[in-house]
Amino acid sequence: MPVSPSRFTPRLPLTTLPLPLLSLKARAGFSGFPSPAQDYEPLTLDLNARLIKHPTQTFFLTATGDSMEGWGIFHDDLLIIDRSIPARLGHILVVMLDDELLIKRYALHQGTPHLCSSHPDYPPLPLAHSDCQLWGVVRAVVHEYVR
Amino acid sequence: MIGLVDANNFYVSCERVFQPELNGRPVAVLSNNDGCIIARSEELKALEIPMGLPAYQLTNGQNAASIHLRSSNYELYGDMSARLAQLLRDVCPAVAPYSIDEMFIYLDGMTPTQCHTLGQQLRRRIRRQLGLPVCVGLAPTHTLAKFANHLAKKEPHFEGVCLLAGNDAVTHRWLKATPVGAVWGVGRRLAARLELMGIRTAWALSQADPKQLRKRFSVVLARTAMELAGTPCLSMNALDEPRQRIMTSRSFGQPTGAYADVHNALRRHAQRSAEKLRRQGSLAGAVLLFLHTNRHRRDQPQYFPQTVVTLPTLSDDTRDILDAVRQGLAAIYRPRYRFIKAGVMLLGLVDAEQHQLSLLNPPLRPRHAELMGTVDAINRRLGQDTIRFGMTQAQGAWELRCAHRSARFTTQWGELARAGTHPGAVAHYLAQQSSRS
Repeated sequence: MPVSPSRFTPRLPLTTLPLPLLSLKARAGFSGFPSPAQDYEPLTLDLNARLIKHPTQTFFLTATGDSMEGWGIFHDDLLIIDRSIPARLGHILVVMLDDELLIKRYALHQGTPHLCSSHPDYPPLPLAHSDCQLWGVVRAVVHEYVR
Repeated sequence: MIGLVDANNFYVSCERVFQPELNGRPVAVLSNNDGCIIARSEELKALEIPMGLPAYQLTNGQNAASIHLRSSNYELYGDMSARLAQLLRDVCPAVAPYSIDEMFIYLDGMTPTQCHTLGQQLRRRIRRQLGLPVCVGLAPTHTLAKFANHLAKKEPHFEGVCLLAGNDAVTHRWLKATPVGAVWGVGRRLAARLELMGIRTAWALSQADPKQLRKRFSVVLARTAMELAGTPCLSMNALDEPRQRIMTSRSFGQPTGAYADVHNALRRHAQRSAEKLRRQGSLAGAVLLFLHTNRHRRDQPQYFPQTVVTLPTLSDDTRDILDAVRQGLAAIYRPRYRFIKAGVMLLGLVDAEQHQLSLLNPPLRPRHAELMGTVDAINRRLGQDTIRFGMTQAQGAWELRCAHRSARFTTQWGELARAGTHPGAVAHYLAQQSSRS
């Protein structure tokens, strides 16, 4: 099967401009040493490139509620979901259960896989015989202290 | 082999990705201004509610309480369509979007078994990674691929992927079981004329003499017949299905990165599309535009943007479509890329006559019909582009009515979907918000 590398296609809203490319600038004239910083001048750090590995399959959701604070997810945090990642134990997942999108941690509880929250009011749900469906894996959470 | 990947009830499926409460329930998506139904979920089809039904009949009819209405949300559909096209491009050597929810893939050099396996993989992957259900039809020609896709949708035992080898017993059996009117590009009137000649099934059409068909009907029908028999003879540009989509696209003579060149090409396509729209008596709800760089030039940066602009009101006015093109291009154009192709697609088409009968709909622009009719008549008589449109004025005067619009989940920061940290968290939050306001 011919597979072409997945290229970063800039697309709203993920990024508004193509990523800056590292280009070698002409070195400083005839006089002595060039500035070592010059080669790297156009390079900027792009948060998209760090947090969004698969733009096509990445979606954003807003966290709602306080039952995941134990794992660092607070009300109104921005969730970056990469739907191309296979779910593994330890991941934080978004799942569809009873017509809702829910944030849960996929973990072992008494030796079997469960969906866990970090709040005593919501005990772990055993995955076996559950009709919950995986929506996506939470790759990162953005918590903004100043808005 | 050629594949056709077609999303099931695309608009409804896009809504469901972010609104799980719509799963398993009857859902109707309405045209701009909430005029009439333009997309239905399977559950709504089961209630025998037809496409094109005016929305007020739905809200007053029986089952009204159980039916979920959504205003068309072209920003969401356009973004999901771009993701679908990109996902296919990551896997397949060549992809040609045919409409917002149908994409042809070209799988040269693969055996039928490999193609079938790839079809199944694509279907699973699109479901899992984008949340969209799709069906895949695979065959040696465009027309057969479309037919295979139709079978994949209709016959559950295919499990969403149907491969027709072309000239084997299986293909023949399905062609024999299909009335000629169900073939792509054969309308009801044409089907009636064909039946008079004894051509009642897709099979009979595939066996008819193409020369006779060309003489008595058209070159298009002759090609359709040859394609059904397994001989590829349609290029993408020849495929046109009136009343469902209008697309105008062309490659540039020379690759260009200049904004003015790209804009001019898109303006020409927009005018041509608007003429087609008026000729078939339809109104459009949104405009999709796309640009392609040359995918064969691996040394050059690649960019395949597309965007959808919702029209302020249903329209067949060239000025509205030009305005949408200008907005859309401003959003997706990037310098430094060399584009080889640009295209315009009109979406959300509804019948103009039916639309104007409804008193609920805002009137079209005053004297608009006379103006457009005159322009079209002159261009027909004196040649294309005799009269062209200059830069157009600002937006139409009417506010878009979209009482049931879902959030623009993928294109607006303020409208992201919410995921709860426990059951009921989102409902509780929303109730709080609405009591506060």
